[in-house]
Amino acid sequence: MTDAGAISRQAMRWMIFGEWRAYPGRVIVTAIVIAVGVALGFAVHLINASALNEFARAIRTVNGDADLQVQSTTPLGFDEALYPTLARLEGIAGASPVFEMQARLAGTRGNGGPDNGMTLLGIDIFRAANVTPSLLGQSAGSSDPFDPSAIFLSQAALDVAHLAIGDSIVLDVGGRTGSYVIAGTLPAAAEGQRLAVLDIAEAQWRFGRLGRLHRVDLKLANGVDAARVRDAISKVLPAGAEISDAESEAQRGDGLSRAYRVNLDMLALVALLSGAFLVYSAQSLSVARRRPQFALLRVLGVRRRALVLQVVIEGGVVGLIGAISGLALGFALAQGALRLLGGDLGAGYFNGATPELAVTPGAGAVFLVLGLAAALAGSALPAMEAARAQPAVALKNLGDTTDPNTVPDSRAAIVLLATGVGAALMPAINELPLFGYLSIGLLLAGGIAGMPLLARLLLAPLQRRAGLALPLDLALKRLWGAPSQAAIALCGIVASTSLVIAMAVMVSSFRGSVEDWLTAVLPSDLYLRIEGGSNGGIPPDVQQAMATATGLAEIHFGKVSPILLSPNRPQVGLVARDMDLANPERSLALLGRSLPVPQGATPIWLSEAAMRLYKQRPGDLMTLPLATTNGAPAPRFFIAGEWRDYGRQHGAIAMDNRDYTRLTGDVLRNEGAITLAPGARAEDVAAALRAKAPPNLAQRFFFIEPREIRASALRVFDRSFTVTYLLEAIALLVGLAGVAASFSAQTLARTKEFGMLRHIGVKKRQITLMLVGEGALLGIVGVTAGIGLGIAISQVLIHVVNPQSFHWTMDTKLPFELFAIVIVALVVAASGTALLAGRRALGIDAVRAVREDW
Amino acid sequence: MRRFVFLLFALFATAATAADAPLLPVYPEVRPGVALAFPRDHGTHPDFRTEWWYITGWLKTPDGRDLGFQVTFFRSRPSVDQRNPSAFAPKQILFAHAALSDPAVGHLLHDQRAARAGFGLASASETDADIRIDDWSLTRRADGSFAAKTGGAEFALDLNIKATQEILLQGDEGYSQKGPDPAQASHYYSLPHLTVTGSLKRGRSSVAVTGSAWMDREWSSTLLDPRAVGWDWLGINLDDGGALMAFQIRDASGAPIWAGGSLRHGDGAVERFAHEDVRFATRRQWRSPRTGAAYPVERDLSVDLASGPRQWRITPLFDDQELDSRRAGGPVYWEGAVRTEGGHGYLELTGYLQPLKL
Amino acid sequence: MQSAPANPPSLLSLQALRKSVPGGRVLFDGLDFSLKAGEFVAVMGESGVGKSTLLNLVAGLDVADSGSIAIDGVALDTLDDDARTTLRRDRVGFVFQAFHILPHLNLAQNVALPLILQNLPAHDATRRAGEMLAHVGLKGSDHVYPRQLSGGELQRVAIARALIHRPKLILADEPTGNLDPETATRILDLFANEVRESGAGVLLVTHSNRAAAVADKILQLTSKGLTQRD
Repeated sequence: MTDAGAISRQAMRWMIFGEWRAYPGRVIVTAIVIAVGVALGFAVHLINASALNEFARAIRTVNGDADLQVQSTTPLGFDEALYPTLARLEGIAGASPVFEMQARLAGTRGNGGPDNGMTLLGIDIFRAANVTPSLLGQSAGSSDPFDPSAIFLSQAALDVAHLAIGDSIVLDVGGRTGSYVIAGTLPAAAEGQRLAVLDIAEAQWRFGRLGRLHRVDLKLANGVDAARVRDAISKVLPAGAEISDAESEAQRGDGLSRAYRVNLDMLALVALLSGAFLVYSAQSLSVARRRPQFALLRVLGVRRRALVLQVVIEGGVVGLIGAISGLALGFALAQGALRLLGGDLGAGYFNGATPELAVTPGAGAVFLVLGLAAALAGSALPAMEAARAQPAVALKNLGDTTDPNTVPDSRAAIVLLATGVGAALMPAINELPLFGYLSIGLLLAGGIAGMPLLARLLLAPLQRRAGLALPLDLALKRLWGAPSQAAIALCGIVASTSLVIAMAVMVSSFRGSVEDWLTAVLPSDLYLRIEGGSNGGIPPDVQQAMATATGLAEIHFGKVSPILLSPNRPQVGLVARDMDLANPERSLALLGRSLPVPQGATPIWLSEAAMRLYKQRPGDLMTLPLATTNGAPAPRFFIAGEWRDYGRQHGAIAMDNRDYTRLTGDVLRNEGAITLAPGARAEDVAAALRAKAPPNLAQRFFFIEPREIRASALRVFDRSFTVTYLLEAIALLVGLAGVAASFSAQTLARTKEFGMLRHIGVKKRQITLMLVGEGALLGIVGVTAGIGLGIAISQVLIHVVNPQSFHWTMDTKLPFELFAIVIVALVVAASGTALLAGRRALGIDAVRAVREDW
Repeated sequence: MRRFVFLLFALFATAATAADAPLLPVYPEVRPGVALAFPRDHGTHPDFRTEWWYITGWLKTPDGRDLGFQVTFFRSRPSVDQRNPSAFAPKQILFAHAALSDPAVGHLLHDQRAARAGFGLASASETDADIRIDDWSLTRRADGSFAAKTGGAEFALDLNIKATQEILLQGDEGYSQKGPDPAQASHYYSLPHLTVTGSLKRGRSSVAVTGSAWMDREWSSTLLDPRAVGWDWLGINLDDGGALMAFQIRDASGAPIWAGGSLRHGDGAVERFAHEDVRFATRRQWRSPRTGAAYPVERDLSVDLASGPRQWRITPLFDDQELDSRRAGGPVYWEGAVRTEGGHGYLELTGYLQPLKL
Repeated sequence: MQSAPANPPSLLSLQALRKSVPGGRVLFDGLDFSLKAGEFVAVMGESGVGKSTLLNLVAGLDVADSGSIAIDGVALDTLDDDARTTLRRDRVGFVFQAFHILPHLNLAQNVALPLILQNLPAHDATRRAGEMLAHVGLKGSDHVYPRQLSGGELQRVAIARALIHRPKLILADEPTGNLDPETATRILDLFANEVRESGAGVLLVTHSNRAAAVADKILQLTSKGLTQRD
């Protein structure tokens, strides 16, 4: 009879344009909501990418590692002409050429003999100082930086060679030998890394590889987009050279930056989901308002599908407009945020660096599509619901079709929440916390689906009270009678609040844990390390003498030595230190309580990594392969607790100094943690300590002052967190915008109700009060639910997403000030917008309002 | 005669002692009677052990504030095996340093660059002033003016420097004795009264600056007496067009081992100071709260001129122009903008915290 | 009332219709009725007796417990929702108590809507809507928006909309319920004239005697069924 069930195009055009012409404000509000959602997501993404660049660089700068590396794919190396080419590329702040070979001690054989190989690096100290300061040697005295016979060895290399500073060493590289004097050590080399560093010109000449390089370490200029520089590099790379991913991935695997990335991703998700829910609530309201219209169209012969299609096309066009303006807005937002931050935090560590905005057209397209999808889904769902409604009923009934006496259906909510909890318990897939994210989505959906019931539960105590003032009573009755309309208004509030709260809880927990960790790892004023220390150290008499140095409040000696627990795993650090056995938490960053030690057992404490890698639990007994005195069997230890140690990723085991000495007979110590007397200067105390030790020992002392490290690390974090705080504020603003939009739409849709109330003698003031009451009640219900849901989601983030992503737990810390701000802001905003919208609605002539059909 | 050179000397002093008898460089000795020729001598003299292009001066910002600045390029020839054919062989090292004295900041801002010459990344021309280290450079243009570019995290200078007077040959036609031994000497000429225009960038904002400067050029192979612990140097552009330079090298007691200088009057007549003609007296010391070193920042310079004794009172732009470069491997010293009645210039005070080692 | 099949076949035929409300109360049971083309029947009854429900059942907007409804010989219970919608679109016209004129369409567009839904070109549809509006006394107000009209005027528009696509069956639910008596009379006369002119069969539901008076036949709806009243 007619075409496949569709409404005629003309009719659809009439309906859509008629609606827009009649209510341009509503169309604009919907478009704005979508624009804001997309803008937020896109801005977060842009800042994420840019801030991540900056953050990763900051972390690496602290670590002294290169930002990027170009590496030879073969041992022959590439032509050194590549080095100046790379150095001149835009965005490169420094290029450090590296000659890298495998060397071994001359006179030993690779096969059969002990493994004494080490990596030999030839560097240009001027370039390395700028790009990879961790490769710079620390010499015992002043020495010629170009002395071709000088070589610097890492601790592990010294250990394997059984040599000390000042000794001669002959290295064999592919049959060519070079003879050197050990001028110093490489304090920044990773534990267990066997490294020897000498001058690059000497290395090229001595080992017959003139004109060849194996690596160029690169430092990026502040604020440049790493991806763009990578592209530029790949254009100039000859065959046999590649941008090293393995190396940089390994560095990036660094827990902190990875955690940061996970968290920022989460923030982008927050923005996106909030946006989607805002669109949904806006469209729901628009559809709810037009329900009788749809019913009439159904009566007049418009099919269901055609009706849904009409609403979806409407939403799609508005969504597209909103999404496009959202991209522009997001870009502006991100740029503004970065500029602001760059200006504010210019002093100190970052020296006014402004992160360059990393613009990615692909991401822009993704956000465009997501915005459109949100608009389409947000339109289709309520439209389908409206189309299903009985037209005859809908024609008559302008409001909610729910009977106030029926209890809202909560089965869906319970199923969603239960599935969400279940998903949180699932393991990671491919190291990715996919189920964790699913769980967050399900919890959010479940929480929102449960809103009608929750609103009832929260309002029940008030509802039962008699003698409430008329406006408040009316407000309550309405919320009670129309829980699903209330839920729609709440949806946006709950979604944005809960996600913001979840993020805030996680960020505050994250920062708190980092701070605790830094404090726990670096509690003293000054640290003493001894180069070449694992085979020796400070004897007890010297320890005693050193303890009397002036300016010293306290010094605790310790011993760190590697032990091999499993042949196929790297060595674990055995840390002997002065433990406060009654309160071990004072000596270690303990996770949980330390168990009481059974009579006669010797306690040890395992780091998180050691626990996980060797599958131990507190309370277990463990054998350690210690070289015991008088050949007694390897002792068994009682695992008293677990501690946090981000320094040794292969695991660490802590024990008391006295136990260590008793079992091993080793009285030498190679570490000292120093507390300064008030007013004492670190340099003076270091000098005093040196003076107390015999010169040959004092020469090997290496002092580290942790306050600077700690302060700069926290500065880096605070800057990074400033970005997240800013984004949270934006997310909250969007939440408020959603409240305002949905509230004003609902209020305007109720002009008829207000007209009727005015007719029967309710004063304008009372209606206004009623609206403010409704707003405040909704705000309270929404923010209560939002905070509850947010805390639940934050627990998924903290206990599922973060540990699964980077094997690191953190302690929950609730940001109560933020909670207070959110509560006040939302309640005030909800009642404020209700008031404003009510004023407008009341301005309409009451008589005409009653006569109006919709 | 400047600090970094000495630092580099200190570092390079230990000659390589490789088993297979390295071929070490032979440094030419500075002798009197060598005529200087330009623009050739604006360029580098790679055989000598050390050399510098040293620019100091005063700048004015658009809002009328005074700043001091210093831009220096050094070249050094380390004592390394000359046989090494590697392109990385450190046969010539280039080093540059820039500092800004802003009373509003209250301390010095500074930055530096260092590199082995080579690969087109760091180079010094032998035919004219043209020294480049990465993005820093000092070049002489066809019109005779110099362009200096330095940039760092805290500030960047892009300066156009123009001579207004003849080259001033110091000492005996450019042979400047630095100690009792005639071999302790340098080739030395100065370019006083340079006009400066250009831009100063700090953070993201850039301002136009104008000012006047002084350039010192020196190259040498042997400079200091073994007893020396530090030195003072002063260069002043006098308002009447005159140019005053004075230096002294101190021993551990603070007494001068050697001193010298020159005054070119406004009319172009040059007086050269003998060792005994120059006396630095201290009027006021400033003690650094960071290092504890005490510097004679306010001084009286007395010189016996042909016309009789003459005295200049030297006062600093501000006190804290100390530079602690120990973290970058350098010494602690004071170098800053100073003024006197009828003149502006720069004062350098080294070896006041601890003796400079040789 | 007779249930015997008529010849020519009935425009509308209800057989053994039973309908109860969700609470379980039976509105009517065993209801039989038929309407011939051109026949104008008024159905009266007390509030809550199920007059509107009866109309909704006929329109295919509600479903009976048992029994059958046929329009133009097509049994509604054999059709799915889409087919019922199409049937309604083509052969049925509606007039409501609350007018239900879309506020964001002008009068011509409101009236033309049924034609547009039948895919008539917009130009023709609005031209015919204009003629129709003139017919109901609203000549020249094609581009006026509903907001500016009185209740009587709105119902004129609704009548024009109900008739424009020449439906065979017109269902009217208390069309004068929202109007003052004087206007109501004028509208009723207009309505009766228009539908007679169009030759459509009319089922008018009302509790107003004055409204029922314009019908050819008045039936009383009780729980027992429809009985003739004179």
